[in-house]
Amino acid sequence: MPAQILIRFNPAKPKAGEEVRVQVVVQHAMEPGTRKDAQGNLIPASYINELVVSFDGKELATVKPTGGTSANPLFAFKMKAEKAGEVKASYKDVTGDAGEKTQALSLA
Amino acid sequence: MDRRKFLKKSVGAALSASLASSLVPALAQAAAPAALEGEDLAKLGKALKDALGKEFKDLLPSTDVKLVLPTIAESGANVPVEIESALAMSQVKAVHCFSDKNPNPHLFSVFFGPASTTPYYATRVRIAETAPVRAILETADGKFLLASQSVRVTVGGCG
Repeated sequence: MPAQILIRFNPAKPKAGEEVRVQVVVQHAMEPGTRKDAQGNLIPASYINELVVSFDGKELATVKPTGGTSANPLFAFKMKAEKAGEVKASYKDVTGDAGEKTQALSLA
Repeated sequence: MDRRKFLKKSVGAALSASLASSLVPALAQAAAPAALEGEDLAKLGKALKDALGKEFKDLLPSTDVKLVLPTIAESGANVPVEIESALAMSQVKAVHCFSDKNPNPHLFSVFFGPASTTPYYATRVRIAETAPVRAILETADGKFLLASQSVRVTVGGCG
């Protein structure tokens, strides 16, 4: 089941040339594979190992997290908002699950 | 000696005495950088080798890397980490983050793409136990700049 992805901008509507913080949150358990359940069995690993964020088709950053990233992880980046466009975030996890989301960035 | 001269002299003496006492510990610290709390260079070194093919001594401690994280984390499951740099984006290739005592010390790597304009990354990480967090900034010319800070963890986030 694809996890829900939230993309938020701060400021929400930046002026042209202003720096904007792009914040991506993925609703994902990020099981590192080292934790045990109540019966003492290891919980199998299930964490995001790749997240690609791009703006209008140009790559902003690629993150390679490990199990060392928290549950429902937040990934934040900064970029200069020169023009309006679409921010796209897509993830893959170690179990083969994947998902993506696009969010329009508009200027003030 | 009149009153004015006496006052000047005694204030001066007191000042120099307090200056001397505050300078001594600062100098002592500069001479021998204290080991960070919970440091485990053997484990970190192995993870560095696996992830980057580097050793700890290849990393250059630098003030160009700014690492922001709390000094005490109540829960190791959710520790906010912020890595920033004043370097130009064209000089920065990637950012890697490690924590010495985690089951897997490598926490994440971020590779900046062509749309990126600011070397900045923020996330939340799991820290197993009290140990330093290492932010390693990989420059375009192949240098690895290091910033470290210890975080004290009350409840671990990995087991």
